[in-house]
Amino acid sequence: MSSGTRRRALWGAALLLATLGAWQLASAGWIHAKALVAQKLIAAAWTQARDGGVSRRPWPGADTRPIARLTVPRRGVELFVLAGASGRSLAFGPGHVSGTARPGSWGNVVLVAHRDTHFSFLRDLTLDEEILLESGPAAPARYRVREITIVDKGEARIMDAADAAQLTLITCYPFDAIQPGTPLRYVVIAERVA
Amino acid sequence: MDRKGWNGSAEQVGDFLELACRAFMGGVAAALLFALAALTLTITSAQAAPVTLNDPKTGMLLLRTATPGQYEPAPKVETDVAIQVSGLIARTRVTQVFHNPGGDFVEGIYVFPLPEKAAVDRLQMQIGDRRIEGQIQEKEEARKAYEKAKAEGRKAALVEQQRPNLFTNSVAHIGPNDMVRISIEYQQTLAPENGEYRLRFPLAVAPRYVPASAAPPTEGVPDDGKAAEAALVEHPAYDCGGAVNPVDIVVAIDAGVPLARIESSYHETWIEKQSNGRAMVSFIREQEEADRDFELVWSVAPGQGPQAALFTESVSGAEYALLMVNPPQPSASEKALLERFPRETILIVDTSGSMAGVSMEQAKAAVFMALETFKAADRFNIIEFNSIMRPLFAEALPASPENLQQAKAWVKALRATGGTEMAPALTFALNGRETPGYLRQVIFMTDGGVSNEEELFKLIAARLGQSRLFTVGIGSAPNSHFMTKAAQFGRGTFTYIGDVREVQEKMSTLFAKIEAPVLKDVAIRWADGAPVETFPPRVPDLYLGEPIVVSAAVTRTASRTIVVSGLRGNQPWSVALTPSSDSEASGVGALWARAKIATLMDALRTGGEPGEIRGQVVKVAIEHHLVSAYTSLVAVDVTPTGPAGGTRSALVKASLPRGMAVGEIPQTDTAATLQLLAGLLALGAAAIFAVAAHTRSRA
Repeated sequence: MSSGTRRRALWGAALLLATLGAWQLASAGWIHAKALVAQKLIAAAWTQARDGGVSRRPWPGADTRPIARLTVPRRGVELFVLAGASGRSLAFGPGHVSGTARPGSWGNVVLVAHRDTHFSFLRDLTLDEEILLESGPAAPARYRVREITIVDKGEARIMDAADAAQLTLITCYPFDAIQPGTPLRYVVIAERVA
Repeated sequence: MDRKGWNGSAEQVGDFLELACRAFMGGVAAALLFALAALTLTITSAQAAPVTLNDPKTGMLLLRTATPGQYEPAPKVETDVAIQVSGLIARTRVTQVFHNPGGDFVEGIYVFPLPEKAAVDRLQMQIGDRRIEGQIQEKEEARKAYEKAKAEGRKAALVEQQRPNLFTNSVAHIGPNDMVRISIEYQQTLAPENGEYRLRFPLAVAPRYVPASAAPPTEGVPDDGKAAEAALVEHPAYDCGGAVNPVDIVVAIDAGVPLARIESSYHETWIEKQSNGRAMVSFIREQEEADRDFELVWSVAPGQGPQAALFTESVSGAEYALLMVNPPQPSASEKALLERFPRETILIVDTSGSMAGVSMEQAKAAVFMALETFKAADRFNIIEFNSIMRPLFAEALPASPENLQQAKAWVKALRATGGTEMAPALTFALNGRETPGYLRQVIFMTDGGVSNEEELFKLIAARLGQSRLFTVGIGSAPNSHFMTKAAQFGRGTFTYIGDVREVQEKMSTLFAKIEAPVLKDVAIRWADGAPVETFPPRVPDLYLGEPIVVSAAVTRTASRTIVVSGLRGNQPWSVALTPSSDSEASGVGALWARAKIATLMDALRTGGEPGEIRGQVVKVAIEHHLVSAYTSLVAVDVTPTGPAGGTRSALVKASLPRGMAVGEIPQTDTAATLQLLAGLLALGAAAIFAVAAHTRSRA
């Protein structure tokens, strides 16, 4: 009987821990799943917006819309950029920081995304690599990586308007940090070439 | 039985504890394993990323060499700043002495912030006794001339504008134990606010060095300035061990009228007041590495400050004017009258999803602040918008205690969710149904997450009527371009609140200021009624203590008198200014050109044709010898002093002053990795428990 109680206690603890573990894993998976699935949904909305000129919400109730397509041909990266860089929209895709130049326009276009999902590829980018940004029916704007740097989150001036046409991609650094909340940002600055 | 049972249960507890311990140890082992894995990953990534950390803290900054682990001292920079203030114009000369203590020829690149409206018009390079004047050229040509000189082993200096307030100074070929002195000059206008003049110099230019090319040259990094800059990263091992890059500032003020008060806000200085409005200010000791600006504040004796001033300068046949008007401060009785002017305030609050969290808290705090300031005679309304627009009342109602109570409860219940549809809220607020006899002010609080900016500007311009629009930027990185522009179209001002602790201070300043405009509907014309083309082109309403400062070209010969008019209370008010021989002041032309370039660049951001604007900017900039987005100053030495070919570059980077940039870069990491780890640990522990339970049951 005592052995039964013991067994039950052990099974209970195992079950509890298993539930906890499953929940944590599911949360982590959910972050990645959202990041993946949302991009698929957004792809459809984007194609429609580009061809039809009407920008549509990717799913009902979404508080953001796709405004550009970011590709790195050499690395097989294809991402749909959302308007705004709030925590909510960043879960679904790279966000365009409002107030910076709009994709396709002159000036400094600033995009941010999570280091562990959409922008994890930034760590591999090297100088002079080509990045394409498509924002309408016209041919995509071509950029070439000019500078890679790491700054403190307070250095908001990297998001300032620039005189030249440039693309600034930002994500958190270090890439493999376990705990969220780092004050460092990994910044890739690319210059428009065509 | 009792004993036995007790014993049994004790044994049971012991067993359980033992098992729990084992499970815990298992968990710890798993955790260690994962941590080890994570650590290995982090280390490999640190090696892969173009950053190297932590070198010996010698107090001197080092330059990386081709051999890993070997460093060389980077060039030193001494900075001397001399500022001459005469009346409204300040001319600054920044002299930097680049000294290379190393054994190689290097290139120094110095990045420095300047005041937003600084007109950089002079570059001088001094090598030994020779002085070489910088020439203004189109940016690409200047860059080519510099690169050519560098390739031929000649000394050269190049000043380029990176952003309107950020410049780089590159100096090629600083030889071993060599010294090169570079002077840059710029000027700016000083607009007295509340009778106070404020002069700032971004002292954070005290440079930090960063190691040059992190990738070894063997990888074939092309030797041009851009590639060098690209490979540069910050050097974190900077320990203050002596004056590495000292800065000294001297300011000479000639106010023209007696000075009342003069003080330096953040630094210890010697201040020597002389008669007739002159003063000399200098640092008590040399400064280095600071994250705060140098700021000097002075005011002239009460009643002595100019109420209106016109300065002119002739530059190659054309005449330019700088105009400053300080509308007369209302007398006590007028003030009382103005304050009795009831206000109708419409508060618009962004409750879209992007405002969730701290931003929403700030917005609410700001609304509560506003509600506190309403007097019984005032009227108000509140509108929230996300995907839809929802007003508190159908129209503005008196600020009675009941209405205010209702408003507070309504605001408390606001939740941030959904999209950002600003147009309906603005349309509702700017409905042209102003209550007569009321001063109508719309206060618009948002993080500015919109994409249809142009459309909204048009809407504001078309529907503004007698209302005034004030924007309040909320959150960590609000769209300050949108909000500054929206306020311009709304003839109001933009206030930025970056921190919830600032709400109280910033909002009370805003409310105190907008209590009553001193001068409305400002127009600037020639005496014959033709409008004057001024830069900046629009003059907003003026509130207590604000002056008008604009530049204009004097194109007329007949009527050279400029008339500034407006509504003071409800009375028309005007002042006429005619240039005379004693209004000549040097630098007025450059300031006009700088203001014109700013206006042209603004047009670029609101949909102007880049090619056309570029042409216009280049023309103005070359004529006035100004550094701009498309023109640079370049100075090249005639005789080669170093070996031809590549040299290494050191980027001498300025830290940005605290509080200069708005907001911070968004957070972009998730808890996914942490959760993954926690989840795996918990599952591991669960498995251990399960195995234990299983073994028990068989035993």
